[in-house]
Amino acid sequence: MDEESIMYLVFTLLFYIIAFSVIGSIGHGAVAILILVLLLLGVAVVLMLNWADFILFPIFTSVMGITFQPSANYKINKTQDAVIKEVNGLYYATGFITANLYAYVFKLETSEVVSDNDRIAAAPELWERALISISFPFKYHVFAAGLDVQQVRDELEGKRSYQEFQLSRAIQSNANEVTVTDIQRKISSLQAKIDRISAGEKPLASLMYIETSAIGISEKAATDALASQVRALQIALSGFDVDLTQVRGRELYTLFKFNFAVPTSFAEAAAYFDQQK
Amino acid sequence: MQAKFLILVVFLAIAFVFLAAAASIPNSNILLGIAKIILLLVGITFSILAFASRYYTYLIIPMFQQHSRHLVLSSENAYWLSSSNDAILHKEGEDFVATVIVNIPLYVSSTEMSGEEKLNFAAQVGRLSSITSYPMRITSQLYVMNKDSYIQQLRDTISTMENKEAQLTQEGAPQGEISKVHGALAMWKKMLDNVSKNMSLELATFATISAKGTKEYEAVNAVHQKAMEIMSGIGATLGVSPNLVIGNDILKFIEPEFLIPYSTVSEQITKNIQEEVI
Repeated sequence: MDEESIMYLVFTLLFYIIAFSVIGSIGHGAVAILILVLLLLGVAVVLMLNWADFILFPIFTSVMGITFQPSANYKINKTQDAVIKEVNGLYYATGFITANLYAYVFKLETSEVVSDNDRIAAAPELWERALISISFPFKYHVFAAGLDVQQVRDELEGKRSYQEFQLSRAIQSNANEVTVTDIQRKISSLQAKIDRISAGEKPLASLMYIETSAIGISEKAATDALASQVRALQIALSGFDVDLTQVRGRELYTLFKFNFAVPTSFAEAAAYFDQQK
Repeated sequence: MQAKFLILVVFLAIAFVFLAAAASIPNSNILLGIAKIILLLVGITFSILAFASRYYTYLIIPMFQQHSRHLVLSSENAYWLSSSNDAILHKEGEDFVATVIVNIPLYVSSTEMSGEEKLNFAAQVGRLSSITSYPMRITSQLYVMNKDSYIQQLRDTISTMENKEAQLTQEGAPQGEISKVHGALAMWKKMLDNVSKNMSLELATFATISAKGTKEYEAVNAVHQKAMEIMSGIGATLGVSPNLVIGNDILKFIEPEFLIPYSTVSEQITKNIQEEVI
């Protein structure tokens, strides 16, 4: 959670803290219980908006039947999972799936370096095999932005120092072997990343996602075809061992806008996807 | 950020006003009790809106302004083509954002590679994303080959052959000549059937990069500069000659109807409908 989210959460929860403290002056008995339930519901909605707005927001738009027009000729449907365009009576539905290969190629522990190479070497073949099984249009996007080398290095060194402190504390308190090994593994992983940066590798922030478009003679036919294409992509690319989740809600709108202009700075991109930082 | 923060403050202030109003009404009868709960509910709604403004400012304002279930966030086109014909432009507040697409002609297959070559290729692709410090998007796109003109050509040929066959029959031409035209006609019809029945797919790899400017030409010049840097980086990393996508070819990479050309898939759609009906 970034600073801005924390600020929003604190300010909003302030309302509920004050409301809880004045329940007595608002009502007594059954009314007070009802007010307490309402306030607790309000807190639950705020917390859900903070951590799972992609669930809550599509439910809200589906129930209310709200659709959006992000720009001329385009429409975002009420379930918030497709951007629809009508051309000459035909409907094109476009959807997005997250597909961060980050864990696949980079976030590996030192002990797995050998398998890291094996997996990287197998990647082109896996990719081609996946492509062969797909018979509809799709795009695999990798959005990458260079990060400040010094800042990333300082951050990694800070994390390593913290883990080293944890390790010395664990050893002093005679912690079990599993805990010690786990901390040592984390230190090796951080050291490996520091070494890679020292060797001249540029630290990158990346965002990877898949876009697919389906065609239909009606809006429903197009969205149904899109849903089956999304399922087919999830199956075809499952070999990559990545999280393939369909994008819903505000991130769908953001990714739609990326088709016409990609962010010009990392900060701009990160502002859209706080979970990706 | 400031406008967003202002919305948060305004909504929270409204929420607090309703909370204060609910607290200040005396608890004398049931009607006032109901009024208190309603005021509190409105306060809670505004507090939720205040928090939602963190990400949904772009929706909350039109929601209040339009009072409709179909919210128009923008009625303008998402982009327009620059006068240089090689970039698309988009307005963001007071700034212009120019975007170019760099085609990466990559024609290699892992089936022709040894284990070491595969590793090197994967490393090259990995390096591709770090050739510049500017944010850049690399895309691999699988799309339906546009056979519209070829299909049209086949349809024209069939129509010509049908006319010729009718003409020969009317003129009472020798049977051999009619049979020859008839055979050719059957061949072209079969070819059209085959071409439109199966979708052919193409794979393209491209990079997308954007730059901002206060004027259109400023944004376009800035994005050209970035594109040149990226193109030389791609050339050096992969040993290919990347090029800027120009004119209508840009549409192939951004508009869904160019991913799936209409007449190319029309036969497929008809077939699907027939299957559904059956």
